[in-house]
Amino acid sequence: MKKKISGADLAFNIFNGAFMVIFVIVTLYPVLNTLAISLNDGTDALRGGIYLLPRVFTAKNYTTVLGKDNLITGAIVTVARTVVGTALALITNAILAFIVSRKNFVFAKPVSLFWVITMYVNGGLIPTFLLYKTLGLTNSFLVYVIPGMLSAFNMLVIRTYMKGIPDSLEESAQLDGAGYTTIFLKIISPLCKPVYATVALFVAVGQWNSWFDAMLYNRMNGNLTTLQYELMKLLSSVTNQSASAENMKNAVGSVTPTSVRAAATIITMLPIICIYPFLQRYFVTGLTLGGVKE
Amino acid sequence: MTLSSSNAEGVISLDENKVKEKKKSDFSRLKHQKVLLIWTAILTVYGIIFYYLPLGGWIMAFQNYRPKDGLLHSKFVGLEKFKLLFSDVSFLRVIRNTLAMGIINLIVTFVMAIVFAILLNEVSHRGGKKVVQTISYLPHFLSWIIVTGILHDALSGNGIINQLMLNFHLISQPINFFAHEKFFWPIVAFANVWKETGWNAIIYLAAITSIDPSLYEAAAIDGAGRWAKIKHVTLPSLKPTIMILLLMNVGNVLNAGFEIQYLLGNGLVQNVSQTIDIYVLKWGISQGDYSLGTAAGIFKSVVSIILIVFFNQMAKRHGEERLF
Amino acid sequence: MRQKLVSALLLASMVGTALTGCGSKASAAGGAVNKDGIKEFTAFFAVPGNEINDDNEIQQLIAEKTGCKVKETWLTGQTNEEAIGTLIAGGEYPDFVDGGDATVQLYEAGALVPLDDYIDKYPNIKEFFTDQEWDSLRQSDGHIYWIPQFSNIYGEERECTHNDEAFWIQTRVLKWAGYPEIHTLDQYFDLIEKYYESNPTMEDGTANIPYTILCDDWRYFCLENAGEFLDGYPNDGSVIVDTDNNKIVDYNTTPTTKKYFEKLNEEYKKGIVDPESFTQTYDEYIAKLSTGRVLGMVDQWWDFSSNAEDAIKTAGLDKAGCNYVPLPITIDEGMKNQWHNSGGVLNVSSGLGITTSCKDVEGALQFVNDLLGQEVHDLRFWGVKGEDYEVGDDGMYYRTPEERANVADTAYKASHSCPYSYFPQWLGTSRDGKNAMKPEGQEQEFYDGLPDTVKECFDAYGVKTYVEMLGTNPAPGPWYPMYTYSSTMTTATPGGTAWALMDEIKHQYLPKVVMADNFETGWDEYMKAYESCKPEDFISEMQTELERRIEVAKKYE
Repeated sequence: MKKKISGADLAFNIFNGAFMVIFVIVTLYPVLNTLAISLNDGTDALRGGIYLLPRVFTAKNYTTVLGKDNLITGAIVTVARTVVGTALALITNAILAFIVSRKNFVFAKPVSLFWVITMYVNGGLIPTFLLYKTLGLTNSFLVYVIPGMLSAFNMLVIRTYMKGIPDSLEESAQLDGAGYTTIFLKIISPLCKPVYATVALFVAVGQWNSWFDAMLYNRMNGNLTTLQYELMKLLSSVTNQSASAENMKNAVGSVTPTSVRAAATIITMLPIICIYPFLQRYFVTGLTLGGVKE
Repeated sequence: MTLSSSNAEGVISLDENKVKEKKKSDFSRLKHQKVLLIWTAILTVYGIIFYYLPLGGWIMAFQNYRPKDGLLHSKFVGLEKFKLLFSDVSFLRVIRNTLAMGIINLIVTFVMAIVFAILLNEVSHRGGKKVVQTISYLPHFLSWIIVTGILHDALSGNGIINQLMLNFHLISQPINFFAHEKFFWPIVAFANVWKETGWNAIIYLAAITSIDPSLYEAAAIDGAGRWAKIKHVTLPSLKPTIMILLLMNVGNVLNAGFEIQYLLGNGLVQNVSQTIDIYVLKWGISQGDYSLGTAAGIFKSVVSIILIVFFNQMAKRHGEERLF
Repeated sequence: MRQKLVSALLLASMVGTALTGCGSKASAAGGAVNKDGIKEFTAFFAVPGNEINDDNEIQQLIAEKTGCKVKETWLTGQTNEEAIGTLIAGGEYPDFVDGGDATVQLYEAGALVPLDDYIDKYPNIKEFFTDQEWDSLRQSDGHIYWIPQFSNIYGEERECTHNDEAFWIQTRVLKWAGYPEIHTLDQYFDLIEKYYESNPTMEDGTANIPYTILCDDWRYFCLENAGEFLDGYPNDGSVIVDTDNNKIVDYNTTPTTKKYFEKLNEEYKKGIVDPESFTQTYDEYIAKLSTGRVLGMVDQWWDFSSNAEDAIKTAGLDKAGCNYVPLPITIDEGMKNQWHNSGGVLNVSSGLGITTSCKDVEGALQFVNDLLGQEVHDLRFWGVKGEDYEVGDDGMYYRTPEERANVADTAYKASHSCPYSYFPQWLGTSRDGKNAMKPEGQEQEFYDGLPDTVKECFDAYGVKTYVEMLGTNPAPGPWYPMYTYSSTMTTATPGGTAWALMDEIKHQYLPKVVMADNFETGWDEYMKAYESCKPEDFISEMQTELERRIEVAKKYE
């Protein structure tokens, strides 16, 4: 494709470039600031005034975080739940999205409505807890990957993408005698890589960052702890939502410096940043890549 | 539960027979749909168990739930909790705040994510594009406590915003942004945009990849410039995705959040900062009253469902992509 | 590529199943004996706390001595009511529990084991309270279900820090003025104004902040309750108890409280009160204090000492006199001040309980009993001799600077120290009659750890401790403190509702009162909103409780 740069296009490029530069500065700043604080002495950081560079350099925050025991167990469980959870979620959401995106499927609408409603209703903490306990999901790894596996949001994102795929593909496959299973696996799914990658990213990040379920359902089971739960425990003394004067008075010296939180944040972000480029190629492409050809 | 779900399957196969007769489809087609039906049944059972069964807990809203009595033996009080909520002026105020912030956030985060995705797509340098995209989603991984901490810093008396405005003589005195009710909603909206724009844009970027390049080529032949291409190719192709996300998010306007308002709010602005979730924590959970929170939750669900049904019908009338 | 993916998935699901497998076995505890012959218990405390490592050194030492070990978990990311509510719904409990404010719910749900039949068998537990105190712990069914852990004094009281609320001031301000006697609110602000006038900045040119007010969320006590102390009353927390006629007085509306806010309003207009006071977060407040810029404020010692005071020291600002000391301030000259009270505070509303899930109640109580023994108590709070503290020729414990530094190190504490901090513990004097039960009470150790500027200030006033700066008073009566009742109130009663509404209104209006252009108008508006909360409902419930407490106490006279 040859490019001819007109005046308007040039102006557009300049505007766009400037916009991107400002955007990058504004979004990069909090991350760099967190990085600087994570590398700064905790007590010194209390004084504030740290922006892009640490003032009193130390690696102590990282050793404190990495020195937390059970971190390895937590990391293994977290990796396991991320991989298993993402795989399960992707498979089930894709199947459901495939079903409800078939134009001649009778129940496409009621099934969609059934799932849409699930996004806006919530039985509450205690009934959910009782249910999981009855199902034997407490004190078990399954509680990380089974509940929440199918989510209407992810399903609808995939469905929208699938609907964009021309019907003619399905029709011609059917003429060749292909069943839905074949159409799903061989025709539709290969075209859905970008949206699969997107949903996989959403689910994986959600899994990676989860800790509430570990705390609620597997608190007494050290073998099922997750990375984020261990970090949350390390940081919990600084969350003051539930604290009161009476509690704080008795919790002698339990204040964790902001720096430890910063270090924990950076440590959790790193693996995601490392894996990201592998997924990114599915949704950041040049104009000549991708696209559905009829 | 098993009973009702097997019933549901029975109904499904009956209906299927009727439809088949009507449509006079051939045998292989029925066989194909059977696969779909089996999977639908399995996944519906899953949905009933994990999403609809816990709704039994809604019974709490009509009880004076006490942990010692449990769900089965707590005292029934009818609609008392709902009456309590709607007779409280501050509950009506938190509904207003939640709605206002929900709508403002919906609009700005939504528009920003689309604008960002489209503009990013127009960056011709592939490396640059990837770098910008990678950086843009990073704030998503910072917790609200970190983001609000940085915001507080930037907006404080000697923070960067006040310093810049002083230097350009826009103001003569530093503004205490957190002391004025009028600044609170915009600050919350900005924080949301800041943290989530790059992340929210990912869906649109994925959708853009599915646009047939030949459409751009055709547009180019017609002499379309950059703006024209965006207007006539990119945006129309994104429309289904935009519509679906818009509809889903409209149902979420009452979930404007808890943490960010909690962390940014203070006594001076509490009239505009408190959301339904904060109200529930304060007057429900912290008081050992679980029922009040459940009642508020039911209210939110009902409003959400009404909203999406309404907007879904609107979309239907205009022939747009819709949820169901 | 696909093959790799498939094998990765398989591997992960294998790991998953393996974890599930060992998962079902792992939650043994309940007093079960592990492979080393150590009984293992579990505990959940519905408060945020420091978790210790599984291989913690002192925990191991205590286990060797007592044959028991407790795995403690703490509140994370939930409110205590929520956490306890879920526990009760599930019906499975850890062996030990402290539900904080929600403890009574555990009792109501029948989750706790009555302890009164056991107590006599365990001398250290029995000794922990007097009969009267034990009786005050009896619930409506006449049984005792939990043991409050804190503020219990053995032998002579040993207290060096004033852990509670006060008007604090930097030593450099006092030094500059030649260590004057400051007794009233007016004198306090006078001194700050004068100092600020002649010293608008610190040595490095940073502007001083004469007076700041922490007002973040529940920490707004730094603004709201100074009135009761200024009137010469102790920390009943939510109300004043008039000792002349045993009547509850609402401190929010007293003339003294009005004068206090009028003063703040005046100082705000003069630019003495930090204009960011009402919008700053706790972190920002600590940052300000840590830079040494703030001359004075009202706060409780525990709220700023462990971070701001440490940061001041680390930055070397202690040499410039930036540390804080408390001042005995009342509204008028010549009044008795009760900022500090001697004696412990028995908070009957929560404590350590043993749950019905515990299979070995006697073993659990034996462990609590052992924890109160002197040797184990020393291990919990002083640590290991030669590692965490030294013993002088006179038998007194002390710490080297290095040992003091270790105590403040999060990682060191997690791997080494094990205070079992939510199990019953003593304050006061050790059974050896010399040392303090806890290092904080060891006078010489405390004094040695002070910055020179604070020592100089103490010397100038002829005192040795923070407590002596204020003087001390015995607890005013058997009801003290009333806040142990108001903190358990909920919206289930009219008084509790009023209490919650008052809190909301004060959060909103008190800052406005201080910032008001016209104080009287601002105050009137506040009072109007305040009256609409029906504070009288709250006061009358507090009055009933006060009378109940006095009645109960009469039995023991």
